[in-house]
Amino acid sequence: MAVAALKVQLNALLSNMFATGMVDEQFQQLQSLEEGGTASGFVAEVATLFIEDADRIIADIAALLDQPVVDFDKVDAHVHQLKGSSSSVGAQKVKLACMHFRQFYEAKSKEGCLMALALVRSEFCDVRNKFQTMMQLEQQIEACSPK
Amino acid sequence: MDRRRITVLLVEDEEIHRVVARAVLRAAGVEADEAENGAEAVRRVRERVGGGGAGAYDLILTDKQMPVMDGHEATRQIRAMGVTTPIVAVSSDSLPSDVQAFIAAGADDFTPKVTIHPIHRINRVLLLMCVPNAHDSRSDRLLMHAHAPIPCMQPLTKEKLGHILSKFGLA
Repeated sequence: MAVAALKVQLNALLSNMFATGMVDEQFQQLQSLEEGGTASGFVAEVATLFIEDADRIIADIAALLDQPVVDFDKVDAHVHQLKGSSSSVGAQKVKLACMHFRQFYEAKSKEGCLMALALVRSEFCDVRNKFQTMMQLEQQIEACSPK
Repeated sequence: MDRRRITVLLVEDEEIHRVVARAVLRAAGVEADEAENGAEAVRRVRERVGGGGAGAYDLILTDKQMPVMDGHEATRQIRAMGVTTPIVAVSSDSLPSDVQAFIAAGADDFTPKVTIHPIHRINRVLLLMCVPNAHDSRSDRLLMHAHAPIPCMQPLTKEKLGHILSKFGLA
C-alpha cells in the first residue's frame, strides 16, 4: 500500500480515537513532543509501556479479587497505579474506569470491584487494539518511506 | 557569555512516567539525572553537593509513592543536608492535605500527575530557572507560577526555549 494511503488510514484511526474519547489531550501532547523531533518513536514507546503495565496490573487485580478475603488496600494501590499509567499515555476511558472503580474498593464491595474490573478490562482491550493498529501502521509507513 | 547548563534530578519509580518526563525535559533542551526511589535521590544529591563534583542540581522533580523511600522522606533528608535546590512534587495524590504534606516536608511547589498540566508546569519551572536572579525569592516565584491559570498551549520546544534563553543572554 502506498505511503499516502497508509497515512490517511493512520490519521483516520487517530481522529476516531480522539472523537470517541478513547484518548485525550495528554496523548496529543505526546504526539506533539514526537513531532518536535526530539523523541522519535516516543509515542509507540509510551503506548507499549502502558500496554505492558496495564496487562500486568489487571491480572494482579483479578488475582486479588479471586481470593476468599480480598485485600482492598492492595486493590486500591493497583488501581491507583493503573490510573497513573493511563493518564501518562492519555488513555482517557481507562483512566475514567479506574476513577469509577474507587467507590467499590472504598466500600469494600467485591461484587462492585468485579464489575468495575470488567469495565477497566473492556476499555483497556479497546485502546490496546487501537494502539497496536497505530503502531503497525507507523511501522508500515516507516518501511515504505524512502530512506 | 557562558551558556548556563540546567541540571535536573527526576525521582520516579514508574518507567512510563520517567519516559514521558524525560521527553518533556529533552524537548526543553534539558538532560536529567534519574532516580527510581527516594533513597537513590538522596544519595545522588549527597554525591553532588559533598563529593566535590558538579554541585547541586538546579531543580528536583519528585514523585510521592515510591518503594524504599517515598518523596516526603527524600525531600526532608535533602533539606536536612542544607540543600536549597527547588523541589517540585509531581504526584497523582493532589488533595490539599497531600500538597501541604509535601510543602511541610520542604518542597517548593506541587503539581498533579493525572492531567496534562505537569508538562506545562515543568516548562514553566524550567523557564523560571533560565531567568537571571531566579533564585531570589525562589519559593514565592515558584508558588506564584503554581497558582497561575494554565493556558492551552503546546510544550516548549528546544527552539522556543533557545529563543527565550538568547533573550536573556544565556544561549
